[in-house]
Amino acid sequence: MLRRGFHAMGTDCELFLKARSRPEALRAMDEAQWEVRRLESIFSRFDPDSELSELNRRGTQRVGPELLEVVDLALAARVRTGGRFDPTVHDALVAAGYDRTFEEVSAEGRGDDHRPSPARRCAGSVRVARRTRRIELDPGVHLDLGGIAKGYAVDRAADVLGELGPCLVDAGGDIAARGRGWPIGLDTGDGTLTLELGDGAVATSGRDRRHWTRGSEGFHHIIDPATGMPSAGDLLRVSAVAATATEAEVRAKALFLAGAERAEREANATATPALLVTLDGRAIFAGGLA
Amino acid sequence: MTNHVVRLYTASAAIIVFFVAWAGIAARPWVTPAPDPQVAALAQRQQRLQRDARLVQLIAARRAAANRAARIAARAAAQAAPAPVVRIVHLPPITTTRTS
Repeated sequence: MLRRGFHAMGTDCELFLKARSRPEALRAMDEAQWEVRRLESIFSRFDPDSELSELNRRGTQRVGPELLEVVDLALAARVRTGGRFDPTVHDALVAAGYDRTFEEVSAEGRGDDHRPSPARRCAGSVRVARRTRRIELDPGVHLDLGGIAKGYAVDRAADVLGELGPCLVDAGGDIAARGRGWPIGLDTGDGTLTLELGDGAVATSGRDRRHWTRGSEGFHHIIDPATGMPSAGDLLRVSAVAATATEAEVRAKALFLAGAERAEREANATATPALLVTLDGRAIFAGGLA
Repeated sequence: MTNHVVRLYTASAAIIVFFVAWAGIAARPWVTPAPDPQVAALAQRQQRLQRDARLVQLIAARRAAANRAARIAARAAAQAAPAPVVRIVHLPPITTTRTS
């Protein structure tokens, strides 16, 4: 089995591929890595030259097929999750202090001179014209596609590798697998549990990693669109399984924002295998995961 | 000027006019020159290649659009698809999902 690690999309990525021909496998890995970097250059909100940054600057633009597809998926997810997943949280994230790459935000440390601004409204209007490939944002609305774009890139890389054989793509916890039972670890709070995942994906959303302090206040990167502020729910993190990493990202975030009780109910109702870890360290298995 | 000199000038002018007229008639400007067969073949080939290129571009664009539509449909279907069945096993994990 071939394994390759690289850094992209602000996180560590790993590719695993089991293929008969080594030269072909190496070529496919190059292609998958290149695809991840290409998609990062489209979706990054920290790269001023990215297509997303240009759309955010101009407000209306004819876009490429990938940006159109991901924005479309994100808007569909917003409807499906009752607004808990929302791509228009960009300004709320910036207001909370996440206005540069996370490495830069966390490196700044505790500083009284960078007090985050008050909450910003979310649920902004975004119009997508598929035929003309034009996206139009309402004035003052900006998009952040961080999580869903990462899931999408993971799916695309898995599509590339999957043509050659069983494979697994991991981008900082967003994992897509193809072709056989891959043992994937889930952090339960007091240990690690191993899931066997075949064709499918798993993603984790939580407040235990991307958090920072400004002044005396603590912040994290999961914005609750209902308040425009980092979520104040009772969950520490949620891992969710779905058919694609894009969908697993959406489900993990939506469950995280639902809070433990509602998330457990929803995961059971939608048969979404999920592990919910509460702030007090309890692990709740839902959606048929036991 | 003497008569001799006038005659000499006239004869010279007549000779010049004669040769210029001869050169003009010999060039046969009323006849369209036959095209060089090699140049003609190249021009034809260029036209054919341009036509083929336009056709290939059209086919590629159609296929790309169909491919894109199929991919979007497949992904949309995957979003709606039920979550895959997973089971807990007692194996060391190859990688661990964590907050991204």
